[in-house]
Amino acid sequence: MAVKMTETDEILQYLNIKNDEELFADIPQKLRVSLDLGLPMDEFSLITSIEKSCSNNVSPAMNFLGNGIYDRFIPPLVDEIIGRNEFLTSYTPYQPEISQGILHSLFEYQSVISDLTQMDVTNSSMYDGFTALAEAVRMAYRINGKEEVLVPENIYRSQLSIIQNYVIGLNLKIIKYKFGKDGLIDMEDLKSKISDHTSSIIVANPNLFGLIDENAFTVSEFKKEALLITYYDPVSLGLIKSPGEYGTDIAVAEGQQLGIHMNYGGPLLGLFSFRKEYVHRSPGRLIGLSKDNSGRKAFVMTLQAREQHIRRSRAMSNICSNQALLAVASLAYLSILGSNGMKKLALITMNKSIKLKKELYNAGINTVFKGINFSDNLFYFDGQEKLIRSNISGGIKLSELSDYPGYKNSAFFSVTEKTSDESISRLAKITGE
Amino acid sequence: MRALADWQKLQVNKMYKQAHYDEDFLNSFNTGNDFYLEEVEDRYPDSIKRKRLKLPDVRSVDVSRHFTRLSEMNYSVDIGMYPLGSCTMKFNPKYADYVAALPGFQNVHPLESESRIQGTLEVMYRLQQLLIKISGMDYASLQPSAGAHGEFTGILIVRKFFEVNGQLGNRDEIIIPDSAHGTNPASAAMVGFKVVEVPSNDNGLVDIEALKAAVNPRTAAFMITNPNTLGIFDDQILEIAEIIHNNGSLLYYDGANFNAILGITTPGIMGFDIVHFNLHKTFATPHGGGGPGAGPVAVKSYLREYLPVPVVVLENGKYSLYYNLKNTIGKVSSYNGSFGVILRAYAYALKNGNNLSLNARRAVMNSNYMAKKLSKSFEIPYKSLKKHEFVLSTSRTGRKALDISKFILDYGIHSPTTYFPLIVKEAMMIEPTESVTLKDMDYYIDVMEKSLEVPEDTIKSSPVNTSVGRIDEIAAARNLILKWPDSCENS
Repeated sequence: MAVKMTETDEILQYLNIKNDEELFADIPQKLRVSLDLGLPMDEFSLITSIEKSCSNNVSPAMNFLGNGIYDRFIPPLVDEIIGRNEFLTSYTPYQPEISQGILHSLFEYQSVISDLTQMDVTNSSMYDGFTALAEAVRMAYRINGKEEVLVPENIYRSQLSIIQNYVIGLNLKIIKYKFGKDGLIDMEDLKSKISDHTSSIIVANPNLFGLIDENAFTVSEFKKEALLITYYDPVSLGLIKSPGEYGTDIAVAEGQQLGIHMNYGGPLLGLFSFRKEYVHRSPGRLIGLSKDNSGRKAFVMTLQAREQHIRRSRAMSNICSNQALLAVASLAYLSILGSNGMKKLALITMNKSIKLKKELYNAGINTVFKGINFSDNLFYFDGQEKLIRSNISGGIKLSELSDYPGYKNSAFFSVTEKTSDESISRLAKITGE
Repeated sequence: MRALADWQKLQVNKMYKQAHYDEDFLNSFNTGNDFYLEEVEDRYPDSIKRKRLKLPDVRSVDVSRHFTRLSEMNYSVDIGMYPLGSCTMKFNPKYADYVAALPGFQNVHPLESESRIQGTLEVMYRLQQLLIKISGMDYASLQPSAGAHGEFTGILIVRKFFEVNGQLGNRDEIIIPDSAHGTNPASAAMVGFKVVEVPSNDNGLVDIEALKAAVNPRTAAFMITNPNTLGIFDDQILEIAEIIHNNGSLLYYDGANFNAILGITTPGIMGFDIVHFNLHKTFATPHGGGGPGAGPVAVKSYLREYLPVPVVVLENGKYSLYYNLKNTIGKVSSYNGSFGVILRAYAYALKNGNNLSLNARRAVMNSNYMAKKLSKSFEIPYKSLKKHEFVLSTSRTGRKALDISKFILDYGIHSPTTYFPLIVKEAMMIEPTESVTLKDMDYYIDVMEKSLEVPEDTIKSSPVNTSVGRIDEIAAARNLILKWPDSCENS
């Protein structure tokens, strides 16, 4: 009786070779390696093993961490949608006829972020907020060729490092502008630094002290030929003035709060919007609406001539993979919450900040600034060991995040809608002791 | 009764019909939002508030149905064969998704203190060590967010290396083969290097004489992938490394094609100095319709001090983040890498262990099988021994790669990468991966062959079984519509 051939036997027979080693005849023996990568595992053992690693993580009793990434409630429907294998296990839609689902979704993502920011155009995603910010600086340089970028003096060290890396090949000088004692942009200082050489001005709103910065709303009035780059908080736009309303040219943000798990800071979602006249100078992928050969609505990746696979060394960016799935998550999130939900979410967050400031004040811990905070609140606080003792996350020192010269003994406590009133009271009690 | 032609039989046997819904935009549903949040006090001045906010106003059930319907209009590797060359669309194992959804991992904030995230750091450290071993390098960083981002990171390291060694002004060129991925020249240019292209030789390999002619004191690095985008292993690699290193330049390995060599050879032993990985390719993490990916970078010991910070280290049984690298390029991502992707890749690597090289071997067998079978009908230029992928040309068939790529969609399979690499006319680049069966491949080959037999008008009017037919891409670019109507303009 003939033994049934395995698939690999059949392939080898067809290729007329004895074993697969012959297929590697072109890799010289001296280049061969024998690696010990461990014994293969069955699925149950694998999952058990990784669950064991996971159990080495300790959940905090309370979490007051923020500064860009926030622990917000994610409606289960969001995970359900991005868990659908038709989205999850597809590649970049190079064959649009068979990929309308992801293309339609990404087109809607571009639309909903454009609506949220009131900007003309949004691309179909960047890696994360900070790289989106750095790409915005590069884009401004491509547009006006000017050689200076003005950044806030309290910029996070990591943001600054990424910008420096992204502009390393350009002839760009990074200049910091100051903040007033009220924690808002020092307009006199900023004005004095804006010149005919200014390529772009970065403003953050809420700013990096956590304050709604009304001064940012007026920067476009005297920006000369510079482009205004606004780094915003997408949840704040449920209530706060949109970047489009105050003359922003490029609006960028971290989109994690919009339905994406924190996951130790990745994968994230870079939101990237801009004025339509700059579309040909923009980085990343764009989804456009067109028609198929029988007149039906159909979507394609468009303006690909800007991209690396066509333009190569002259491309507008090197982006190939982006964060498509997370863009869909943010679209689903914004659709589930709607205008009303987003407005309430912003209000709840701000009200929690007020409650936090009030309770900590009563416990003897003062805020650094008097203004209106969104999620992040800066306090004169250096009692981090009390937090460790009570298993509380938060109290990140300003000096850990930024090279800002002042407020060395200050630290951040951040809130979201998940921050309970009880946890605020407990925090006040523990820190005030 | 008239006998069916062979190609018609195939069509009858393999009915594929993708769903089509004339799906409205979410902002036109107006069914009323039903996401409940308690009423809250608003005591903020109008001076900080926006005038209007117009997001979709829909019930959750509509959101759910909308995306379910859209998902039915999307092909994926869980539906069928998806042999995009250089994209390594292998099966994405579900155990990896399962562990990635463990709340103990998902709910970790990136600024969380090291003592509370020993499990997270353990996974990162172990993947770092695995990547080091697999690549024959000495140190690794998991920070870059995608393959192209890994290239960018690697080239930043090249630049910093020459800066520290006082040669920055003199080393301003990067050499790249004409068969390279487009991201290579784009990444090199982003870091401020001049890109010099060298042609391939008649075997599709690096033309050593052309390389020697291109190498000069201004050369900072040579970026290649091996096997290259033609799926051919360049056995001159040690000679190439010598030429590059004798010139004081660095050798960069584009890891997009790593699935061909995993466990068989390493970039390290080939003489490379810097490597990037694509975890969403080699390590089977789902690509999500365009991303996320992850693009870790590994280097030889003499480049350790240049890596982005922090890296994860293990000392006395404790994992921690190490920042103190003397010449570090600093940061390339907001935080420490795409942990959700890193975790899935770790699960894949841990699960397969020493079988990882069997996956590579099967991937190469499959590629050679398809290449040999398809070589009867299509020209497959350059040498016949392929690695994980191969490139055929439709030039001599009288059919355009574009038409064939549309025709085969009608049979429930995804097309290969087309018109790449640029050095092959009417190119179709096929990478079956280890995940496909013999039956999958035979069916695919069958459909490819039928594409040459069908009447011209049939192929020109294809696809017809996908949710939409051919799309007017020129109109999309000429009359740019990048968002839905009735958007919330700032007026």
